[in-house]
Amino acid sequence: MDKELEHSFVTNLEQNQNIVHKVCRIYTSDSESHNDLFQEITIQLWKAYPKFRGDAKFSTWMYRVALNTAITLYRKSKRSIKTTDLDAMNFRIKAEDYDDEVEQQLKLMYAAVKQLNDIEKALVFLYLEDKSYKEIADTLGISEVNARVKMNRVKTKLKKILNP
Amino acid sequence: MDELELLKKDWKKQDTAMPRLSYNEIYKMILKKSSSMVKWIFIISLLEFSLWVLLDIFLRVNGYTEQEQVDELLSGGFIVGLSLVYYAVIVFFVVRFYLNYKKIQTTDSAKVLMENIFRTRKTVKYYVWFNIGFFALTFMSFTIYLAAFTDHYQKQADLGQASTTIIIVSSIILGLIFIGFIALFYRVIYGIITRRLKRNYNELEKLEV
Repeated sequence: MDKELEHSFVTNLEQNQNIVHKVCRIYTSDSESHNDLFQEITIQLWKAYPKFRGDAKFSTWMYRVALNTAITLYRKSKRSIKTTDLDAMNFRIKAEDYDDEVEQQLKLMYAAVKQLNDIEKALVFLYLEDKSYKEIADTLGISEVNARVKMNRVKTKLKKILNP
Repeated sequence: MDELELLKKDWKKQDTAMPRLSYNEIYKMILKKSSSMVKWIFIISLLEFSLWVLLDIFLRVNGYTEQEQVDELLSGGFIVGLSLVYYAVIVFFVVRFYLNYKKIQTTDSAKVLMENIFRTRKTVKYYVWFNIGFFALTFMSFTIYLAAFTDHYQKQADLGQASTTIIIVSSIILGLIFIGFIALFYRVIYGIITRRLKRNYNELEKLEV
């Protein structure tokens, strides 16, 4: 169709693909569903791209479409519904910077995040990505105050999962 | 919370450990077809729209005895008028469905996006209920008409051993079972496709109270 549009989109996405991979990591537990979700997010981004005016940063715009796809549009295949703790353990790839204790704690943290529901995962994801509460609120469509309240609840929930 | 801060630090280091797709791999992806919820909702909705229209056409073409008798007895104009209203309502539903569907944008906030999806589905829901209601009303009025103004049930009673009342009551019960079955079937389908969406929406909604 429009070759120029295709080219600018693919180049942009290629440069910013980490954001999509990170969303996939939070929402899926095996590489097959990771790829499925990545594929679906790419299609949704591409469908929305003609309306992307460039008034926002490409990456900011990506967060919204990617999370919406993960929370709202993506149909999980049956295989990916069961949570595999082993995959959570393999979540991190680079480990050499940490001593065993920290390493262990991180593994548990990732496993705990996997147990959260879709909305809570979105909150944690945006928090980990250093987004402001204003941005978190805008992305989810809730008020800033409620975003803060919910984030605190998620922290408490994570603590409970870690120290039952 | 220190654990979450620890996670944040680690999270940032992940950038280098992520898989990397090439330009060509990404390019191939944009040529593929979406398999999103919205697409399925769209397909299922279209099936629902066509199902009722096809059912209506099928009944008209094949004609059942009651229909013919009523057609004979009522003036042709009434039936034509009723059909026009019926199809005008269907066109209205299809147009609304399409406009709502168009409103679904992944660039909206999660909440607005979900609301738009629900609105689209709701149009189909009203459409289905309109049909069930229309069907029920037509069925009831035919039964009453046949019982009160024709000897249709009397003839049937003469053929078999059952009394007129039993035939009328059993046909009403059968009609109700049929309607109940359609309603249940619809609820199940609707429930399955929107279960997760509903759960996530409630989660966001819960926050705003």
